[in-house]
Amino acid sequence: MTDLGRSSFELEQVGPLRPARRRFASVAAVVILAHVVLALVAPLLPLQSVTKQNSDAVLSGISSAHWLGTDNLGRDVFARTLWGGRPSIGLALASVVLAALLGFLIGMVSAVAGGWIDEVLMRLNDVLLALPSLLVLLLVASFIGRDASVLIATLALMYAPPIARLVRTAALNVLTRDFVVAARLRGASRWELVAGEVLPNIRGIVLTEVAMQFTWILLAFSSLSFLGLGASPPTPEWGLMIAESRNYMTITPWPVVAPIVMLASLVLAVNALVDRNGEEAAS
Amino acid sequence: MSAVIQVLKRAALALVVFTVMACLTFLGVEALPGDACTSLLGRAATPNKLEQCRQENGLDEPVLTRMGTWAVDLVHGDLGYSVKRGAPVSEIIAPRLRNSLVLAAASALMAFPAAVVLGMYSARRRGTRRARAIDTTGLVLMTLPEFVTASALWLVFSIWLPILPGVAVLSSDATLAETMPTIWLPSLTLAVLVFAHVMRSMRASVVTTSARPFVDAARHRGVPERQVMRRHVMPAALPPAVNVMAVTGAWLLTGTFVVEVVFNFPGLGRLAVDAISDRDTALILALTLFGLAVFIFSSFVSDTITRLLDPRVRAGLGT
Repeated sequence: MTDLGRSSFELEQVGPLRPARRRFASVAAVVILAHVVLALVAPLLPLQSVTKQNSDAVLSGISSAHWLGTDNLGRDVFARTLWGGRPSIGLALASVVLAALLGFLIGMVSAVAGGWIDEVLMRLNDVLLALPSLLVLLLVASFIGRDASVLIATLALMYAPPIARLVRTAALNVLTRDFVVAARLRGASRWELVAGEVLPNIRGIVLTEVAMQFTWILLAFSSLSFLGLGASPPTPEWGLMIAESRNYMTITPWPVVAPIVMLASLVLAVNALVDRNGEEAAS
Repeated sequence: MSAVIQVLKRAALALVVFTVMACLTFLGVEALPGDACTSLLGRAATPNKLEQCRQENGLDEPVLTRMGTWAVDLVHGDLGYSVKRGAPVSEIIAPRLRNSLVLAAASALMAFPAAVVLGMYSARRRGTRRARAIDTTGLVLMTLPEFVTASALWLVFSIWLPILPGVAVLSSDATLAETMPTIWLPSLTLAVLVFAHVMRSMRASVVTTSARPFVDAARHRGVPERQVMRRHVMPAALPPAVNVMAVTGAWLLTGTFVVEVVFNFPGLGRLAVDAISDRDTALILALTLFGLAVFIFSSFVSDTITRLLDPRVRAGLGT
């Protein structure tokens, strides 16, 4: 569903924030924080090896030795699940930062310059948006390689266009406002306009969009791993873990359920928070 | 009259965009390292054999000449020949296309009506417990990765309550009657995802429109609530939702790689994943073109419908 995230544009919601929603949002914030901390400290924790195979304990259920059992190669699922976020979260963060910078640059130049520059940039943007992201990722990973740098560059390029479009729309919106006209009459340079007037006013909405895109990139990379062209074995990575253990689900579900819970909780938490921000910005 | 010209203009633009994108795609696939012959011969490739294979398949001509031949063939309905699979691309694609169309249609039929109705309901009853439940469910379903939804449905309907067949074991050219029973789980998975997207956009669109001054004005004039919904809110709220439906519809036809792989469904998505793993460039090129065509066509259709739904345009047509 990664492409739908790139193209469907959610309208802002209106209405005051209910206490229940606020609680929902703080839970989401805690979940995100827990994910970040876990991903950072996983190597420091006294966990079992994530790659050591044990043919005596294959697909064992939950036990005191293996808290979430073992997978089909006898590897500890608990340790692999805690480690499994590191490649995807790291890669998605790097890609989304790059995508945000690129999208911001394109959108801002487009909005400020206008004219044929705007036209050319936006048509290029449309072309990128028209390409199915997962297909492009599969092609790049298969033909060019699945190095982190290649995947990050591709993901950034594929997920910058929606950010660029939003930045352009939001910036154009601000540029016509009276205080910008006033600044212009004061003799403010273009740079001063962008940094001093436009940026503070679009920061919130752009950051919200960037957070959304982070989850789509995370899902795109996990899907790629699931299809066998992302993280390569024996790296512990959620999408790859699900793909590897899928066929043994009837014997023990934990090697599939654990990474699913982790991935889903992270994506859901970010989206819940984004949802709240959208409502707060509108009210 | 002007509306017809507008639609024709839009169609011409779509055609131009497709032509440009098709040429770019050809060059892009061309630029990928390796060609049909290196992929066919694999490790057995020697410079002599490669040379011979390339001559046999006309790969030794310059890129632009081959692009010309390819374009002329394409216009005549010839999608090319897969050296790797030893068959014309159109023969490989045809049965898969049929399966994908059936899958997409089944998913759309399950998802779209329910999404429109529940989206409207959740927008109108905003704040009630039931509307909040619908809304949160939509958010959860929308954000879950496809393989998660697929695995969950598979676990429930195929293993715990074994009522639906799980993984398809079918050749790609199985008859429609043979394919039908295996279509349930993949189409249900796709329907769940599409439902969530359309429902949420429908809800957001109705909420935003309902807050507009002209809706208040209608209410204050004493227009009954049903009429306000039907005559005032819906015409303005539908276009964004139609847009999302067009995008999701295109995605159902071209983006279902993961779901098809999970359920081993013989559609275009799995074919694309296979073709990419095999580096079957002729097939990749055809499938990418198909994806582009669907995307461009769906955005054309959605633009046209949006324009026809717009009351201002319709009023113009009436006079």
